[in-house]
Formats: sequence, structure tokens, C-alpha cells
Amino acid sequence: MKRFTNLLKKEIKELVTKQLVISLAFTVILFNFIGQVSKKEVQKATGIQTISALDQDGSPASQALIKGLESARFKILDQSGKTKDEAIETAKAGESKLLLVIPEGFGESLTELKPSEIETYSFMRSFSLIGARGQIVVQSVISALNEALSNNFLSEKLPEHDPASLKRPIKSKDFVVVQDKMAEGSANMVAGMISQQSLLIPVVLMMIVIYSSQMVISAVAMEKQNKTLETLLTVPIRRTSIITAKMLAAGLVGLISAGVYMFAFRGFIGGIGEEAAQAGAQAGAPAIMQKLGLTFSASGYAILGLSIFLAILVALALAMILGVLAEDFRSAQTMIMPLMFMVMIPYFISLFADMNTIALPLKIFILAIPFTHPFLVSQNLYLGNYGMIVAGLAYMLVVFVALVIFAARIFSTDKILTMKLRFGKKKTAAA
Amino acid sequence: MENVLTVRGLKKSYGTQMALAGIDFDVRAGEVFALIGPNGAGKTTTLRIIATLLTSSGGDITFLGRDLRKEPDFVREKISYLPEEAGAYKDMKGLDYLEFMANFYARTPEEEKDFVDRAVAITELGDRLKTKVGTYSKGMTRKLLLARALMTKPVLAILDEPTSGLDVLNALEVREIVRRYVKEGTSVLLSSHNMLEIEFLSDRVALINKGLILDAGTPSELKGKHQASNLEEVFRSSLR
Repeated sequence: MKRFTNLLKKEIKELVTKQLVISLAFTVILFNFIGQVSKKEVQKATGIQTISALDQDGSPASQALIKGLESARFKILDQSGKTKDEAIETAKAGESKLLLVIPEGFGESLTELKPSEIETYSFMRSFSLIGARGQIVVQSVISALNEALSNNFLSEKLPEHDPASLKRPIKSKDFVVVQDKMAEGSANMVAGMISQQSLLIPVVLMMIVIYSSQMVISAVAMEKQNKTLETLLTVPIRRTSIITAKMLAAGLVGLISAGVYMFAFRGFIGGIGEEAAQAGAQAGAPAIMQKLGLTFSASGYAILGLSIFLAILVALALAMILGVLAEDFRSAQTMIMPLMFMVMIPYFISLFADMNTIALPLKIFILAIPFTHPFLVSQNLYLGNYGMIVAGLAYMLVVFVALVIFAARIFSTDKILTMKLRFGKKKTAAA
Repeated sequence: MENVLTVRGLKKSYGTQMALAGIDFDVRAGEVFALIGPNGAGKTTTLRIIATLLTSSGGDITFLGRDLRKEPDFVREKISYLPEEAGAYKDMKGLDYLEFMANFYARTPEEEKDFVDRAVAITELGDRLKTKVGTYSKGMTRKLLLARALMTKPVLAILDEPTSGLDVLNALEVREIVRRYVKEGTSVLLSSHNMLEIEFLSDRVALINKGLILDAGTPSELKGKHQASNLEEVFRSSLR
């Protein structure tokens, strides 16, 4: 144990370099900075905005429209008395994001039940999505006014009918059924909520797998490049302990790094995402998810954690073997690619395809990739497919054990010194 | 004198390529035994097999009466190996490297301190041991590695081309270190293609070429047998 601890300490010290600490600190600071800046921009965009209005009509209807905008937190700069061109120039020179032109005859057209037209001129001073938000709000105000005006007309002309029923004679009442549970709501919303809930799984998995694997591959490749491996293999410590120490160190540092990155990522998302998340969330959504049983229990989280943990172990064992194949640190950098693909394939497939309906050969191929299973755990938990979950966990465990045995065999035989892979070309070197 | 190591009919092949075609030799307690031969003769392969890095394709190796193939862990406790192109961890300080390596062999903190003190004395690097290995010259690194190999007073030190790539002065220092420290009970198995170095260091030598031992004995025995004035001439004569 003393020897193992000695080696583990050395492995951790090698991984926790100044560069790693600086890079982590820099990422946290940078992501928080971007998050804060974005937050301010979002606040500006969602706060009181200045628009210019040129009312060429001056009718009660046009004044009602401007009043409506004022009540929707717009600061209106009145351009009355100017020509359209003058108003455009003035608005462009000022801070207005938008110029609203209400042409003459607007009110009259409305009373004659003819379509009325207003013009909007958006001044794009930047091409960010937040910058274009002003026009979206104006459009929603106009649509609200359209709704109110058409309701007024219908109430006047057909007082005995409900305007809403006249405009939408067919209404749908949506229900979602999951297993034996049913709740009122749309399938779209439920799918959206589930994808939001499980969004972090692939991100966390990708980050840890990439960081830890890169560390293991580099650790072995560096031993080869620095010519320290031969000495290490002749000291009195079991080969399995060498493998375990390298994997454990990389796993620990990888987990901590991923944790720090996730913290930084939260700071970033917290800045720009809160507003959007609030806007996107639909009232009553959590209650529906609860009713449908689509929430994780403590045991659900434990199963998900176990699945991610096993996937990390598989990645580390695979990285160890790839590290042996790498000739030096430089070739180790390219060795991470097969692992990246193995994580990305199930991620994209789970995003765009339904595992239950894809062709059988493709399904077998995807299920054979151990990293697929953590992606499937959440939906299998929701759908009660415990058999699939257990099979996935067992499969990952079997793959991990097989890889560790294989890695230990490589480390115990000549192959540790003779195996080399250069861009797919296998070459055995003689001593 | 008792044998520390007995090698009989040792064979090794890499695929179809035969590196060792069945060699026999012994290393006695307290002696320096050298394998000499040109590049590709099979010296490094032999040393790597005895250092438990490679597995043999045939033959028997007995170390302190035990089968090396069956008990590699026992062997690793008692030997130390200095590969030809060995390196140390560049981001470690010299002293930390010695402590790290001593920790694998020492049973108590006192023993670990003894090992490190001995290594510090061997290196003669003084305060430079407090700096990172990455800043060392080739000669300094070699001395550090040699100190690492000798600090535990191993039963058998396996030194592959101990002065390879060193300038004259550094090579001389390394040879002196080997001579000075192996007389404390450690047996040495070394390889070199530098015949003059071997003559200076070794008690007995074996001439190896193309995976076969051509002749073996003390330098003076071999010189007498081949009527040669040095080992280079012995080697040329044995090739005929």
C-alpha cells in the first residue's frame, strides 16, 4: 500500500501542474466574466427600451397603439411633425432601436374593417440576438393589439358570441400518457423538459472522459518519451498497481477539473440563460412531470451516477491501452480521437434518433459502445426499463474488467515496450 | 564463490528474428560481470530479460536459487536496473526523485533516509539536487540515475551501457562510482561495446555476438588465450 501511495502521489503531482491550475482559474474567471457581461446585456435588452414613433394619423386608434407600447415598458420618443425621412434620420442618430411609423388613415381603415398597415424600421447596430429583441417585443405588442381590436369588432358586430370561440372554433385539449400515468400537457413540452433535465449528462460525461483519458494517455506516453517507464517497471511494485495509480490519479484530477469547468459553465449559463429559461418555462410544467413520474428519485440519481462512473472507468482503461500504443507525448494527442468519437456517436444519436426505432444493426453497433449507456439511463429510468439499465451497467462493468485485464497483460508482457501504433500502422520493435 | 545469477540456454526471439540463440553465463557474488559485443549482439535483450522487463523464449534463469520467470516480484526487490537511455522525471527535483525511488525499496523511514543519503553521496551533486531534473546536463542525469541504482545496495545491479553518450570526464567519474560502490557486496552485470571500459571495470567478461556467447573469462585469461594485448583484439580473434 505504501508503494502504491508513493506512486499515486507522484502521478497526481505530475498532473496537477501550474498550467492546469492557471487554465482552470482562467476558465472560471473568463466564463464568469462573459456570464456577467451577457447578463447586463440581457437586462438592458429586457429593460426599458427606447423607440421612436411617428404618428401621421393622430387618430384615437393610433394613440391607443402608442399607449399600449408605453405600458409594455417602452420609452417612446415622439417624432410628430417630421417627415418619414426626417424621422428615420433622427431615430438613426439617436439611441432608438426602432422607429414605428403609423401612416395617415390607420384609424379610418380600422373602423372600416380594412387591414391597416404600420411600418417599423429596426436600426441594427449589432447583430447579436439580444440586439434584435426590441422588434420581437414590438411584434408581440402589435399582435396583442390585433387581438384586442379584433375582439372589439367581433363584440360590436356579434355581441351574442364569444370572440375567442369565433376566432378559434376548434380547441384541443392535450394529454400525455407515459406508461400507466397520464397528465394534461403537450408531448413537445414534456420532451423539452426531459432534454433540459438530461442536458448536463452528456456535457459532464464528455468533459470527464476527455480530460481523464487525455491525462492517462499522456501519463503513459510521457513515461515512454522520458525513458522512465523501463525503470518504473523494474521497481518492486505490481504492474496492476502502476495501472491503477495512473488511472486513479487521472480519474481524480479529471473529476475535479470537470467539476471546476461545470462550476464555470454554470456561471456562464447563469448569466445568459436564466432569462431565457424563465421565458421558456411553461407554467405548471414541473407538476406535470411529477404527475407523469418523470422526475428522478434519489435512487435514480444514484443509478445515473453509477452509470457515469462506470463509463469513466471504461474510458480510463481504454486510455491506458491507447497510451501504451502511443510512441511519445505528441502521438498521444491523436490517440484521444477514437475515444472522442466513441462518446460523440451515442451523444448525437441520442439527440436525433429514437433508439427503439433505429435499424437493428445500427442499434447493436450503438449499444456495443459502452458510453451509449449513460445517455440511455435517464429515459430508461423514466420509462421503467430497469432490465435495460441493469444490462447496460453489467455490460460496462464487463468491458471495464476486460480492458483492465488486457491492460494488465500488456503491462506484464514484452508488449509494454514493443507495442507501437503509428496512425493505424502496427509495428513491433525489437530491443 | 556462490552464484547470484545463473543463466542457461537463454533464448529470445521477436517474431521470426532470433535475438538470443541460447546463452549460458553466471554472475558470482560481489563480482562485476560484463557482456561485451557490438550493437545488436543481444546485450540489452539479455539485461532486459534479467531485469524482468522482457520474457524469455526459452532457457532457465535462476536468481538467488529462485526461478526468475516464476518469481519476478522477488527479483525486483533485490535488483536494480539502469537502462541505456534512462531518464528521470523532469519536473521532479533531484532529491525528490531519489526519495520517490527509495520509497519503493525502504521498509522504514530510517532506511529510506539511509538510501537517500547514500545516493546524495554518490551523485556529488550537492545543492543541484534541489533543482529540477529537467535542468541537469546528461552527465548529471546519468550520475543521478546511477545513484538511484546503487543506493539500495541491491544484490545485483544491472547497468546497460553505463557511460553511453557521456564525455570523457563524466564517463570516468561514472566508472569510478561503479568501482567504488560495488565493492560493498553488490554484484554487477553490465553491458558495453566499449572494450577498454570493460577491461577497467570487470572481473569477468563474456563476448557476445549475434545472440551467442563466443567466449568468457577474466580479461587476463581471455587476453592470454587469444594472445591479444586488449579486449578489442580478443573480440576480433574470437569472431574468427
